[in-house]
Amino acid sequence: MRWATRAGVHIDRAACAWLIRRHVDPEPEFVFVDDPASVPGDATPFDMRGADLSHHGDDCSFETILRRYELGDPVLWKLAEIVHEADIDDERFDAPEARGVDVILRGLSMICSDERVLEITGPIFDGLYEFHRRALLLGREPA
Amino acid sequence: MLLAYRIPRQPSTPRISIWRKLDRLGVARLGDGLVALPADARTREQIDWIAEEIGEMGGSSTVWLAAAGSAAQEKDIAAEMRQARAAEYRAVLQQAETAAGARPGERSRTLKRLQAELRRIGRRDYFPPAEREAAQRAVRALAEDSPSEVAR
Repeated sequence: MRWATRAGVHIDRAACAWLIRRHVDPEPEFVFVDDPASVPGDATPFDMRGADLSHHGDDCSFETILRRYELGDPVLWKLAEIVHEADIDDERFDAPEARGVDVILRGLSMICSDERVLEITGPIFDGLYEFHRRALLLGREPA
Repeated sequence: MLLAYRIPRQPSTPRISIWRKLDRLGVARLGDGLVALPADARTREQIDWIAEEIGEMGGSSTVWLAAAGSAAQEKDIAAEMRQARAAEYRAVLQQAETAAGARPGERSRTLKRLQAELRRIGRRDYFPPAEREAAQRAVRALAEDSPSEVAR
């Protein structure tokens, strides 16, 4: 399937792309556009004005995708807190990782293409997921 | 960048939630339902989401990339925003000075709160006033007097 989002990806879009690849569509093709009007007809837009898979109320796009695709995995919801705080920063959640992740993504967007940012952030989100999966099972931070 | 918006009077909860979000961004309020912010990638995105949310709650809005009619008007708006931040920095400075004389536990709690508050103000500080430096210095001084694990 094709998916479209705004060019110049930052935390929410990078995390959504990871989420889509891991849990929605194993072989996604991502398109980056500057204007919502240039989304290809066969692509599903996300994290763009006017798209369903975007911010709604207090939710960021990552949270919206979790809801729309009924992904109830508590580890994904833990990551959602980090993405939410890195993106919106409204202190709804206590996610101290958010600030670091935000800075890393901002820095990457300065030196890489959008495609490359998705390549690099894939393993970062995989690692975050694994860390929080173990933390949840152990009931404390893994070593 | 300007956001011109209208939100239904009732219910009031969504109105207030939008008001708070705009406050957090540090907008200059130019009139009833008209706010301004310097345009950069982050502020444009934030304003776009707020505009979208206003639409979802039954209101309407337009986002403008606008230029003031004269440099003086633009300066006045920037000065107003700078003063708003200056007042926030002064509040931090005052609390930091008060906390310097408090007991250690109380002092480190205040320190954490003020560090968070400085970060929050910093994010909406587009035209840094002189007060910023003083507030940062006062909070740093508080950190240096506190046990290291709290100051981290």
